Amino acid sequence: MARVVVDVMPKPEILDPQGKAVTGALARLGFTGMSVRQGKRFELELEGEVTEERLAEVRRAAETLLANTVIETFIVRVEAEPESPPEDRDVESADDGEASEQAEDAEQAKSAEQAEAGEQAPSAEQAEAGEQAELATQAG
Amino acid sequence: MAPKIGVVTFPGSLDDHDALRAVRLCGAEPVSLWHGNDTLEGVEAVILPGGFSYGDYLRCGAISRFAPVMAEVIKAGEAGMPILGICNGFQILCEAHLLPGALIRNDVRVFVCKDQDLRVESADTTWTTDFTVGQIINVVLKNGEGGYVADEETLRRLEGEGRVIFRYVNGNPNGSFHDIAGICNERGNVVGLMPHPEHNVDSLTGPTQNGRPFFTSVFNFLAAKV
Repeated sequence: MARVVVDVMPKPEILDPQGKAVTGALARLGFTGMSVRQGKRFELELEGEVTEERLAEVRRAAETLLANTVIETFIVRVEAEPESPPEDRDVESADDGEASEQAEDAEQAKSAEQAEAGEQAPSAEQAEAGEQAELATQAG
Repeated sequence: MAPKIGVVTFPGSLDDHDALRAVRLCGAEPVSLWHGNDTLEGVEAVILPGGFSYGDYLRCGAISRFAPVMAEVIKAGEAGMPILGICNGFQILCEAHLLPGALIRNDVRVFVCKDQDLRVESADTTWTTDFTVGQIINVVLKNGEGGYVADEETLRRLEGEGRVIFRYVNGNPNGSFHDIAGICNERGNVVGLMPHPEHNVDSLTGPTQNGRPFFTSVFNFLAAKV
């Protein structure tokens, strides 16, 4: 299994109201000088080897469904294999904390942060309840 | 014989029943169509109603656009059948590329629900012949993602070809480019708009009956065709 990541971002010329709301909230919390644009990250677990053909297929999937190229751009990239099995990774990043993050390169640091964030994420039920509450305020 | 008008129900559609009722009140035979079927059951026109199809997951309309019934709707729309997309239906038509551009989150970042004034910019579509150009109408608007966007070239083409059919007046509620509330395709048989004409057909529940001409227009078109 290999992981391919598709990052989708609103085009620069398209207004990003969500990013603006997050920017405003950060400023209110004292995190100043940070301008946010919000996108989406899709993680695709691919069976078998990642070949050029498979990547071309992922790009077609991104164009067809994952991104609306009228308003969004996307980047497809293969994520590096984790050094240890996923079940160990969380424990590692929790134990080693900052020291290991500093030692790693920027990309790995990012994934460690994400692993930590994942640990703190609310339960599936809570997440779904939140999602539904949010949906109620969206388009009709 | 009264024309048969289909209304598609997707999981998460909300205004399918109001659309069916509006079709009936205005004198045609409403036919309920299911998103999972691959037949239009002999209808002569199709309405994609408002709501939150597939929970608006991914993007509004992005998943519904690939529902089995949509393959038939797209084929029929390209062949000239009158198709009306209301709100979420408009979003689906844009995702399906039957109409250009896209709808994004309102610039005001809140859900907008109001009686909205619109100016009729074109009576030259299958759904708007009973309006007159320049007429100001008032129709319910309710959405969180109703900001119409398109690139400069597309906007120039829409304006140049008279395909902007409704514009918001007395204030732009959602940041839509060029105050666009509704557009049509090149042939004028596929129309999408954010406001909800199906809610404005009856004096008991709507402040105006400005939604009726949408339905009577298409009935006249279908009658003339036969």
